[in-house]
Amino acid sequence: MPKSPNDQALDKYRQAFQEEAREVLVELESALLELNENQNDQGLVGRVFRALHTIKGSGSMFGFDELAAFAHDLETAFDEVRTGRLNVTSGLLDVALVALDQIKAQLEEAAGGPPADRAVSGEILAKLHALTGSAEPSPVPQVPSAPQSPLAATGAVCAWKIHFCPGPDLLRNGGNPMLLLGELKQLGELHASASMAAIPRLEELDPERCYISWDMLLTTAAEREAIRDVFIFVEDSCELTIEPDLAPAGQAAEATPSALPQRRSGYGRRSYDSPDNASSIRVPAARLDQFVNLVGELVTVQARLGEVAARRDDVEVTAVSEEIERLTAALRENSMSIRMLPIRATFERFRRLVHDLARDLHKEVDLTIEGGDTELDKTVIDQLNDPLMHLIRNSMDHGIEPPADRIAAGKPSTATICLSAKHSGASVLIGVSDDGAGINAEAVRARAVEKGLVASDSQLTEREILSLILAPGFSTAEQVTDVSGRGVGMDVVRRNVEALRGTVEIASKPGAGTNVTLRLPLTMAIIDGLLVRIGLCYFVMPLATTLECIELTHQDVEKANGKHLADIRGELIPYIHLREYFNIHTERPEREQIMLTETEEGRYGFVVDQVLGDHQTVIKNLGRVYRKRQAGCIYTKGSW
Amino acid sequence: MPVFCDQGEALSLIRLQGDVNICSAAEFKQILLAVLARGKDMRVDLSSVTDLDVSALQLLWAAEREAKGAGVGFSFAGQCLQDVAFALAAAGFEKFPPPAEPI
Repeated sequence: MPKSPNDQALDKYRQAFQEEAREVLVELESALLELNENQNDQGLVGRVFRALHTIKGSGSMFGFDELAAFAHDLETAFDEVRTGRLNVTSGLLDVALVALDQIKAQLEEAAGGPPADRAVSGEILAKLHALTGSAEPSPVPQVPSAPQSPLAATGAVCAWKIHFCPGPDLLRNGGNPMLLLGELKQLGELHASASMAAIPRLEELDPERCYISWDMLLTTAAEREAIRDVFIFVEDSCELTIEPDLAPAGQAAEATPSALPQRRSGYGRRSYDSPDNASSIRVPAARLDQFVNLVGELVTVQARLGEVAARRDDVEVTAVSEEIERLTAALRENSMSIRMLPIRATFERFRRLVHDLARDLHKEVDLTIEGGDTELDKTVIDQLNDPLMHLIRNSMDHGIEPPADRIAAGKPSTATICLSAKHSGASVLIGVSDDGAGINAEAVRARAVEKGLVASDSQLTEREILSLILAPGFSTAEQVTDVSGRGVGMDVVRRNVEALRGTVEIASKPGAGTNVTLRLPLTMAIIDGLLVRIGLCYFVMPLATTLECIELTHQDVEKANGKHLADIRGELIPYIHLREYFNIHTERPEREQIMLTETEEGRYGFVVDQVLGDHQTVIKNLGRVYRKRQAGCIYTKGSW
Repeated sequence: MPVFCDQGEALSLIRLQGDVNICSAAEFKQILLAVLARGKDMRVDLSSVTDLDVSALQLLWAAEREAKGAGVGFSFAGQCLQDVAFALAAAGFEKFPPPAEPI
């Protein structure tokens, strides 16, 4: 049976809530972990409280009653902290972090994931209440949400529970919540309870902003719509829920405001036009991917049009083609910028990992973040989680020493892991560094020889030795722990980074620490390239790394005595003959061209037959049909 | 401005007059901050208030919380006008009952 428009709208809001809640949970986790390091910081307590308040309020608004109830108990605990009745302790924060995981599990369940373990909720709340010294928690419902009650009969006296949370700008816009409450009172008997929990410290309080919300119990013969009409002018900028009170008849009218439930469900509406939301919109990632795909197709078609226009001597067609080229370039830039996201949120997620591992391994570790505002392509960010996780786990388990060892080595007992990001040309450098014991290159070499990865007499630089730890199954750890040591993690790092067309570089100094740098392309979707030809084959080279194109004659080759070295303005540059590299057996032209590129290792040349010109290249997965090929290119004519 | 402050040796007395609303909220906040900074007990006289809106109420609530946190006395004085008391009660502001004895 198709869903009614109201149900569809509710589904949409529920989905929006889930997305919003995930973001709030990231913020909550970050605030809890920071609070662990600065337990007297009232600002952080406020952040935790506000995040919990948001989850509770929005959750109950959209029918996530169980989740809202759970968040409510946590919120109450942190309200106690805010008001000075409870101290922040590591125990409280640990319970809060576990509770956060449980909220995540409940959200995943709502999104169709595995069911959250209800028993865990009970255990968490019991621990929480033991810490806060409050009464035992009421049992958490065993079902996600209770069925909605039927609407009150028209004309009969009913009790209604009303939650009214004005938007922050209500006062600024001339609204007066008291007048609304006065109007409600005219409809029947009203008990109102104002919630002051969101009022910040006086110094931080914006005097023109509304922080107060109300929970009310109205006993009236009026229908729901009549009650809603009271809020008609503010409904779009407030949280409002109106639902029948489910208490047995006769008890409703006696209910006191303090007994009013803090949780709401069902019929509420919520505005998303707060200042933050007014300047940004939430778009599903899949829709964004589709948009970029279409832009990619357009880029290809535009290139074909450009070729056709160039072949025809038609001024009008050329003019249209040039105009479309300009617009396509602008659209491409725009779509690429939409895909770029700051990496901070990804980095922040690892605070929890560091916190938990430090506790489990009995180590003291601070996580610092540098360059969190550096933007990367969404695809790159999505695939960075696993490599970063493995690098941090390795660092925590093998790199960082126990506090006593660090003190004995003259280091501070608390170690530091630094996650950093910065741009470097067309690449982004992601760094994971620590001030731990470093990597013992000799031990790596010995283990590599033992495993047959290198010959015992092979001459390797320190960098080459260190890169051996990226080999599958390689591990120097004497013990396999829960954290690492199986030799799988670094292989995952290498494979994931290579899948992103990136590289891994490792530098380490015994006793001082280890730096792992992931060099990744800035974008994964469309790049500016140079189209080159060798025989009948076409290749695209990234424009960003190409310095210049220089002719290479037979005489130049002869002068180098057959060595692949080109004398470019007095500098000898090694080059790779792509014709030989790709085994292309066509006649070699009299004059070839060297594409000079700059890399971290120095300058290199790639020899091709002809450079055809700049070429916007759309990078896509080849799909399962072509999985045996490493790469391919759809040329503007549609051919490979 | 409907907010006045008398700073005595042992007590800061804040007198509110007429309509205390968002128009005077910024100055009201500054006065409350200044009084709190003195560290003396504070008393708020509501007897001449004709209207007290949400912006004023939340300022008073925040001030009371911080005064208590700092160990500073905070009290209300003056018999509220009936309309003000009614609005406060209807709004569920149990923290602001009209005091029994005028100053």
